[in-house]
Amino acid sequence: MPSLAEMQLRIRRAVVDSDAVGIAPLLVGGRDPRRRLAIYQRHYRSSLVAAIGSKFPATAWLLGTPFLDEAARQFVRQQPPAAPCIAEYGEEFPRFLSNYPGAARLPYLYSFGELEWHLGQVAIAVDRPTPALEAFSGFEINTLMDTGLTLQAGLRYLYASWPVDDLMKLYLTDTAPAEYRLAPADVWLEVRGSRGEFRIGRLDAAEFLFRKAVLDGESIGAAGERALDANTGFDVGRAFTTLVRTGHVIGTTSRDRGGQA
Amino acid sequence: MSSNRWVPMGAGVGLRLPHVVEIVATRPSVPWLEIHPENFLANPHATELLLEARRDYPISVHTVGVSVGSVGGIDHVHLRRVRTLVDMVDPVLVSGHLAWSTHDGEYLNDLLPLPYDEETLRLVAAHIEEVQDGLGRPYLLENPSSYLGFDTSTMGELEFLCELVRRSGCRLLCDVSNVYLSAHNMGYDPYKYIDGLPVGDVGELHLGGFTPEEDEAEPGAEILIDTHAARIAEPVWELYAHAVRRFGPKPTLIEWDNDIPSFAVLLAEARRADEVAAAARALAPEPRCAVAG
Repeated sequence: MPSLAEMQLRIRRAVVDSDAVGIAPLLVGGRDPRRRLAIYQRHYRSSLVAAIGSKFPATAWLLGTPFLDEAARQFVRQQPPAAPCIAEYGEEFPRFLSNYPGAARLPYLYSFGELEWHLGQVAIAVDRPTPALEAFSGFEINTLMDTGLTLQAGLRYLYASWPVDDLMKLYLTDTAPAEYRLAPADVWLEVRGSRGEFRIGRLDAAEFLFRKAVLDGESIGAAGERALDANTGFDVGRAFTTLVRTGHVIGTTSRDRGGQA
Repeated sequence: MSSNRWVPMGAGVGLRLPHVVEIVATRPSVPWLEIHPENFLANPHATELLLEARRDYPISVHTVGVSVGSVGGIDHVHLRRVRTLVDMVDPVLVSGHLAWSTHDGEYLNDLLPLPYDEETLRLVAAHIEEVQDGLGRPYLLENPSSYLGFDTSTMGELEFLCELVRRSGCRLLCDVSNVYLSAHNMGYDPYKYIDGLPVGDVGELHLGGFTPEEDEAEPGAEILIDTHAARIAEPVWELYAHAVRRFGPKPTLIEWDNDIPSFAVLLAEARRADEVAAAARALAPEPRCAVAG
């Protein structure tokens, strides 16, 4: 008699890989229990394909639902979820999709899918209260430059070599023309959302590098250095005050200041 | 290791994401709500709304991803996340499934069946203890919806559940629809199943809709699929009345997880559950009782 571990391995093969050879002889139920195994196989596939589809409706609009569903079927077979929160499943799908046979004719597919994934994520974030600029008035300039900032959870910074934000806006506003020519162009995007809403904005390269570095945990000074590499005229002080005034900042990660502005 | 909050005896409704905003905005009259924590853990906005709802409604937390039957063990990262939510919500009940869902770092997104034997019994009993310790709460275990079993099983589901209760000290969530569906699919008497459950250890009842499909192996015969995508079937209402007569008044939940209708439809099903329960008990006023801890 196989151990429980062996039986679960065989069931896993049947459910995910549709290989029921190992488990079928052990099943009972109805006239042909192997056919009932298909209930689990079908549910695994259909529930996860639906979950992927629900997160990438714009990508389905771009590709056609049959293409996206077939790619999702392969994805759920090759990369099952790692955890029970299915809302977190699918971040790797844009990369998988961009390597999927037939996707090469859309070189912007990865960036478009990545943008859509992050729109979904920021839309369920919750904005937190922000400190006023005056809260930083006690900082010495050197201390401030060494300080890190904690930004709102619903912020993402994405670079693309195609204007995928324009394409996304066509989908979101349902204004796609019969024919649309997309030309390569560098775009530095800020995606911000909270409580069911989101917006996509473009930044220049230096502002993007500054904000992304801050989000990634670098100090204001280090983030400023990155921006200055892209634009020697970049004004770090102005960039910092803009971040605070626009409600991007919710706290600091300064060791000296105990973590809060 | 118990909540001090009270759960009303009336029928509650599963709070699913499409209804969260509406519930918070309109505060409909329903005695309690149940959530699947897995739908809220990755959704801060929904969690924020849930915490608003809990001011007005007792909440039950029903896990779908705590895999007590997995040989790979309990996913403690997930369990800690559930604990965090449980501590915020302070639910009146916490429950989960007799099933397994995880394998070697993969989550298979289904409630997969277990063989009923001594090895499984030891494993599940130990895992329930881990879960109850990890959550700091009693954990009610739900009977599965079954389509197949294993010829390696050495005992029936009922015997397994009764022994599990004895060893682990957990209580049972009797899903009446699962009893009906499993009895139909596996060929046993659902009334005898209800009669075999230990009366004092049943702490909650569930009712959900199923979808009949033709059994491919047996043309003309139907197999019932636990879709939670339909109204509760008439024979299940009859079985529910029998369960209420046997177990007494228990918090009862209306589950609807797919093709989710308007909240009004769910409320109508909940009202019917109250009517069926009242008729079954032939009692007038609704008592309230504390959740046993």
